[in-house]
Amino acid sequence: MKVFKVFSLLLITVGLLISFNSCGQSETGPIEIGVLLPLTGSQANFGEMEKNSFELAKEEINKAGGINGRKLEFVYEDDSGKPDVGRAGAEKLISINKVQLLAGGYSYSVTFAAAAVAQQNRIPFLVNTGSVDKITQPEDFNLTTEDGDKFYIYRLNPPVSEYASGLEGMLSEVIKPSTVYIIHENTTFGTKGAKAFTKTCDKLGLKVLGTDSYSSGTVDFKPLLLNAKKTNPDIVYMISYVMDAALLMKQSRDLKFYPKMFIGAGAGFTMPAFKENAGKASEKVVSATLWHQTLPIPGATKYFDDYVAKFGGDGPDYHGAEAYASAYVIKDVLERCNGKYDSETIKKSLDKTDIMTAFGPVKFQSYGKKIHQNKMNTYVVQWIDVNLKLIWPRDLANAEIHYPIDWAKVWAE
Amino acid sequence: MEEKKTKLLDVSKTEWIILASAIVMPFIFDFSPYIQGLLIFILLWVILGSSWNLLAGFTGQVSFGHAAFFGMGAYAAAIPMLHFKISPWWGLLTGGLAAVILGYLLGVLVFRLRGPYLALGTLASGEILRLVFGEEEWLTNGHVGILYMTTWVSKYPYYFIALALAVCALISVKLVMKSKAGFYFLSIREDEDAAEALGIDTKKYKNVSMAISTFWAGTAGAFYMIYMGFIDPEVVFALHNISIITILVGIIGGVGTIWGPAIGALIMVFVQELFRSAIFGIAPQWVSGLHALIFGVLVIIVILYLPGGVVGDWKLLLKKLKLSKSLEVSK
Repeated sequence: MKVFKVFSLLLITVGLLISFNSCGQSETGPIEIGVLLPLTGSQANFGEMEKNSFELAKEEINKAGGINGRKLEFVYEDDSGKPDVGRAGAEKLISINKVQLLAGGYSYSVTFAAAAVAQQNRIPFLVNTGSVDKITQPEDFNLTTEDGDKFYIYRLNPPVSEYASGLEGMLSEVIKPSTVYIIHENTTFGTKGAKAFTKTCDKLGLKVLGTDSYSSGTVDFKPLLLNAKKTNPDIVYMISYVMDAALLMKQSRDLKFYPKMFIGAGAGFTMPAFKENAGKASEKVVSATLWHQTLPIPGATKYFDDYVAKFGGDGPDYHGAEAYASAYVIKDVLERCNGKYDSETIKKSLDKTDIMTAFGPVKFQSYGKKIHQNKMNTYVVQWIDVNLKLIWPRDLANAEIHYPIDWAKVWAE
Repeated sequence: MEEKKTKLLDVSKTEWIILASAIVMPFIFDFSPYIQGLLIFILLWVILGSSWNLLAGFTGQVSFGHAAFFGMGAYAAAIPMLHFKISPWWGLLTGGLAAVILGYLLGVLVFRLRGPYLALGTLASGEILRLVFGEEEWLTNGHVGILYMTTWVSKYPYYFIALALAVCALISVKLVMKSKAGFYFLSIREDEDAAEALGIDTKKYKNVSMAISTFWAGTAGAFYMIYMGFIDPEVVFALHNISIITILVGIIGGVGTIWGPAIGALIMVFVQELFRSAIFGIAPQWVSGLHALIFGVLVIIVILYLPGGVVGDWKLLLKKLKLSKSLEVSK
């Protein structure tokens, strides 16, 4: 039975090969930080933008002298957008690369699964995009809000339930709608976002005419959009990733679906790829966002320009800014470690973080069920003449809101 | 074959060697948790692959929806924990049973179908369950998924549990295929009408095959829940990541062979990880995008040149390799 001999030989050689392949952190070389991102798969768009931003920040930091004389290095692990792969990636970073701090974390489910690994291995995890509320709620990790010193997860971006808070002012002061239709991707991100927005609507006295969901990768949104059109809503609120967002807008245009306003909940709606894929149908669409390059935040514009100069294209949206800011938080945290870069020292340093980044101020706070959560404002942007312009809050805006809109005219070829 | 055979289980010497090395290996090599994780995944795929192979490979009832049973097992472990704080470890018992019940119910519907219709029927069942478990939030927590802080940080306990389960799965398939039922399975695969004409209760034996198959798929799902500590419907009812990969593991290893799924699992995890990690970081990063492609190419090669899979066409494979070697020598 040669099969089995070869099989066992294979097993042993593979085992041998890999068991020698481990390396640890040295005392004088670069300080390695693990970064978990979706570099392949359907979320690779976001992962690439975030990786570019981490790299951009790293180069700047190292050019300016690194961390107390040592270079900063990011070790990337591709999570493919899958929780099990992300979990394995986090384990690899912790056990083989021996990183003492994890960063990154894009999709909710991957971040959640990887956070459990970080928590069990007592390695701090600075999440910069994974947005579902649970991630910074210790109760989901068998801890209480009193256990700050036992909880290793920190989050730079606001949770999804707070994404739309910036919209409230614009809705009640400018658009003044009375009815809403909500369309969302049937993932946690979409479902939770829709729930949070329904609450916002209750608060503002808006009537939700209907809520409909779809699974990511749907090609034909027409039945769903026709149902929405039948109810004749004032505004349509959509929570979608980039390709679905583009298709939703294109097919709305095809169906001559003209509510007072289309509003995206961030995610896909602020990405350059949205504009590229939706084409003309992206025009005048409004989206909530966490960041815009023209905000009066020190470094925001510079980051945007540097990114465009280095990587070309239309430049980053808030996802990139989160990653870029995360790199600078890491720099700040490490500098305050006094040369001891072990997980416990880093965690203590994270607790005391209070700095300004290109994404806004970062300080990890406790409120409600959450701990180690950074609190941030959110903003509203609009696609005006194929550019993303900041339109709300008014005192920070760089463009006038285009409203009301004659969609038939705007979308005409 | 000069190997001695024990009567009861018909375990060959090499099989003992593999088992012994699998048990001893973790004690000799100081595997990092990362490697341990990969080994556990291989074992998990051995269970799933064997499960699929019994139903599809030996009984000829090709399932494209094995994720349904895998996910059912995972949720059978997770739901009692979510609502009643019952340890998900019970899932190792209940997960398999829940999947068997589901398998029986589905069998009532889909076993009326044959060939491609059966495949489509099972595929639809898997997708329906994925959607139902995603929508019924009151029961399953919906797309938020269920998180469980795993019992041990070390992976060795999981490795040995997975090994025990994989060995049991392989033994059960082996035992069944040596029994009368096994011969009935084969005859159903070869010609269902002829089997029926010979007096074989094909409905009953298809259900028996389904029951054993789903039991192991469900148990694998429950183990996945206990080990990974996080499930959501997109993960455990995944069409391509579970259902399709299960089929590919079976095809690459060898459809209708006892050891096929084991070899297939080894190759699948190895190829996937090799490319995902960009050949352990040696190759440039873009290589990591190739793993799906490479695996696809591998499947095509196997289907074209080794229709019986690596195990089923082992002699053919050796012949081809030897042939190419002798050609090189002659040059």
